[in-house]
Amino acid sequence: MDVIGAPSDAEIVARVLGGDAEAFGFVIRRYEAGLLRFATRMLGSRDAAADAVAEGLVRAYRHLASCREPDRLRTWLYRIVTNRCKSHLARRSVGDVPLDEAPPVADPADGEAELERAEQLALVQRALTGLSPDKREAFVLKHVEGLSYEEMAAITGERIPTLKMRVHRAREALLKVLEDHT
Amino acid sequence: MNTIDPRIHQVLDGELAVDALPAELRDATEAIRAAADLLAAPVPVRSLESRVMAEIHRPAPSLARRVSAWLATPHAITFRVRPVWSLAFAAAAAVLTLFYARDVGPQLGEHEGIAQFVGRFPDARSVHVVGTFNDWRPGTIALQDLDNDGVWTATVVLPAGTYEYMFVVDGERWVPDHLADRLVADDFGRENSVVIVRPVHR
Repeated sequence: MDVIGAPSDAEIVARVLGGDAEAFGFVIRRYEAGLLRFATRMLGSRDAAADAVAEGLVRAYRHLASCREPDRLRTWLYRIVTNRCKSHLARRSVGDVPLDEAPPVADPADGEAELERAEQLALVQRALTGLSPDKREAFVLKHVEGLSYEEMAAITGERIPTLKMRVHRAREALLKVLEDHT
Repeated sequence: MNTIDPRIHQVLDGELAVDALPAELRDATEAIRAAADLLAAPVPVRSLESRVMAEIHRPAPSLARRVSAWLATPHAITFRVRPVWSLAFAAAAAVLTLFYARDVGPQLGEHEGIAQFVGRFPDARSVHVVGTFNDWRPGTIALQDLDNDGVWTATVVLPAGTYEYMFVVDGERWVPDHLADRLVADDFGRENSVVIVRPVHR
């Protein structure tokens, strides 16, 4: 992402590596919203997502020198946070951490449209959580974060045909859930 | 698996114009797009900047501390020994374990856990933590900044549970811990931090 007047990712990386640790704040402000959304959709919990993204950003800072393509910092950050999410999911499978937090609840003062939207979001999030982590990851990267298959391949290390297949299966599973509830 | 028409995938992958779809396939396409739009809405969460920057500024643990932490962490080690040696090894391991266990950290009860409090207060002269675990009494649990880098820490053994707390800086300024697991509003219009202490022994 480049904003006129704002430093590019490569400039920020150079500043941080040059000793200006505070410049990493640009990275956080620029990418945390997307990373938090991605992690929330992956983990089904905002608290767990905040932990995963915070851990990922700290890890990114400490290993910034190993970011070979600073112009593609976003892809690199998503790769790190994706791995943190997988670690959280792996820990959950053997631990006693609750799988889901309560789905978003609309304020009764909200209009009918907002209530319906909140219910729809809860339904879709539940359906998403029901997918395998690989399919969930592929669907979220493709349709929520709007990445190309090439970018997804760079993040996940998977081949494009594999990712396409996962996205297709995820769509089919989600569509079935949605149809069953209409 | 509930397969859907491949043309729907082609449209969603940007390989086919939606106009090329028969009308009966458009509802499914729109349903998936609508679901994705819902998921793509921003997630309302607190910014992580202060939490991440505080962690970044925290000095890396020394080599000695990392080695100590590694030694104190359980690791799976597999030995292949002749049966005749196994008794001798078992006895030696038992003695070493008993000897080592006397010197490491506090002994925790079955329902106790460890809470670590960390705050960055560069100009503070003293920092204490108060909360529901000490009836909000200042002066009972002090944080330390041994290397004068402005990062104050305290490690406390507490009964497992969920506690609200705040930091008291220089004996007078009460501030929440923005690195906490979460924040909750108190009865005085302020925010308390929340820490969840899990039992070490399950």
